[in-house]
Amino acid sequence: MRHPLLVIGGGLSGLAAAIRAARFIPEILLVEKHSRLGGLNSYFYRNNTLYETGLHAITNYADPGDRQAPINRLLRQLKLQRKDFTFCQQMQSEVVFRHLESLTFSNDVGVFNTEVRNKFPRAAVRFQKMLDFIKHFDPFLPSPFRSTRCFLAEILQAPLLAEMILCPLMFYGSSRENDIDLSQFVIMFRAIFLEGMFRPLGSIKDLIDLLTCHYLELGGHVRKNCGVKKILTRKNSAIGVELDDGEILECDYILSTIGHEETLRLISGTRVSNSTNLTRLGFVETMYQLPQQSPTTLPKNKTIIFFNDGEKFLYENPLDFVDFRSGVICFPGSFQGIPQKSMMEIRSTHLANYGKWKHLSTTPDQYSDKKQDTARHSAQMLENMIGSFATNIVYENTFTPVTIERYTVKINGAIYGSPEKIKDGNIGYPNLFLAGTDQGFLGIIGSMLSGVSIVNQHILPKL
Amino acid sequence: MTSEDIKNLILEIIKDIDDEADFEGLDHDKALRDQLELDSMDFLDIVMELRKRHKLQIPEEDYPHLATLNSCVNYLQPLLKDA
Repeated sequence: MRHPLLVIGGGLSGLAAAIRAARFIPEILLVEKHSRLGGLNSYFYRNNTLYETGLHAITNYADPGDRQAPINRLLRQLKLQRKDFTFCQQMQSEVVFRHLESLTFSNDVGVFNTEVRNKFPRAAVRFQKMLDFIKHFDPFLPSPFRSTRCFLAEILQAPLLAEMILCPLMFYGSSRENDIDLSQFVIMFRAIFLEGMFRPLGSIKDLIDLLTCHYLELGGHVRKNCGVKKILTRKNSAIGVELDDGEILECDYILSTIGHEETLRLISGTRVSNSTNLTRLGFVETMYQLPQQSPTTLPKNKTIIFFNDGEKFLYENPLDFVDFRSGVICFPGSFQGIPQKSMMEIRSTHLANYGKWKHLSTTPDQYSDKKQDTARHSAQMLENMIGSFATNIVYENTFTPVTIERYTVKINGAIYGSPEKIKDGNIGYPNLFLAGTDQGFLGIIGSMLSGVSIVNQHILPKL
Repeated sequence: MTSEDIKNLILEIIKDIDDEADFEGLDHDKALRDQLELDSMDFLDIVMELRKRHKLQIPEEDYPHLATLNSCVNYLQPLLKDA
């Protein structure tokens, strides 16, 4: 059977793209290499407990009535009812530059405004000017890279405030070292500071299951454990794929969500040009599990803490395995309306050097020791900020860039993909397009909108 | 289809996109998008639903013909005369 559209990659952008197409066109096929859908936002089981792999919080919170908000546009496009979901909003979050300053923010943008006014009174007027700029800027118009650091330096004239604004935005969505494209900055600023953070009441598995069911009900097809070995082309058009087991699937259109270079590598005879020398960024994350009732001084109303040591925030590939000087602390249970469980989780994230981890992974014992060592060191760092908890840890799990590489095939395990984005999804073929991480919309809502918008733009009108 | 049928069809599709759409006071000569807060992504749904329901292939360059209710009638009536 010939498929009108074959979607490569069952992460959230691929799922959203497949649902969007299946609403109108029968026989859409989604293929996923792994045994589970979800991509970076998936789950695994240990000790009969479900653990989420990547979810801290979903950005872009909006009330149901705000029709133009990304989350509500997305649900309409996928024909999902907002009332089928229970969204739990964050408590409050914080940017902490240790020994220097902290800024609290929540889904009420007034909280952040007040914090900036109180702590950076001399920059207050300039900060409002920046908000006005962000309000009126159209980040979706095609434009060349523009440095956010330069923009912020000029408009705020408050270096510490600029660094503190950049820290969460970079950790939650920058694939580029030390700077971020101005359009991407505006998208991320709106998503995190103006809209805010939430998570669904259930697990990421519930969300993936709901999306998968919806897709199947629309008549779509899914194949898991189904890796693509080659994308087959004829006269510069894609004609189908060859699977790992040799099976050939024919199709009219292909949408790849696995990354730009990762896609080109599947096309035989394509020379993958290293047009960019920009480094891909890796991360380590440790999830600590501890009993809820243990006597604790842990903060009760914090959802996410973005932290940095020192005045200058370095968002770059560390020289050592991990850069513990900055990071993200997430309390996945600290959202409004999430019932307290017997166990609680704390997650810590830091920048990590892929090359070092990759090299070490050739000696499994050392690699495993280094992971434990990282978990210990990170816990100490966290305890300096949130109080002691390490003695109560009953289970911990650390992922490194090598883990991400293994499960998602992302080059260098870089969760935000290539530093260069292909915003229009066009990679030089009339019927093969790119969506997801390397298209450039990041986060769960962003990646799903990426899948939807590339299908809308390049595929639906022509199918 | 009569012009009334075509208007009803379009409104039914819009209702399907947004069940809170309010058609009261809708000006049949003014852009649907502006009056009903439809964005370009919603608008594509109208095109795709017409295709799904009536096997109509509407080329991209013809999308502007679907701007208002009356322009929809003008454009679709010849295409749906046997429907």
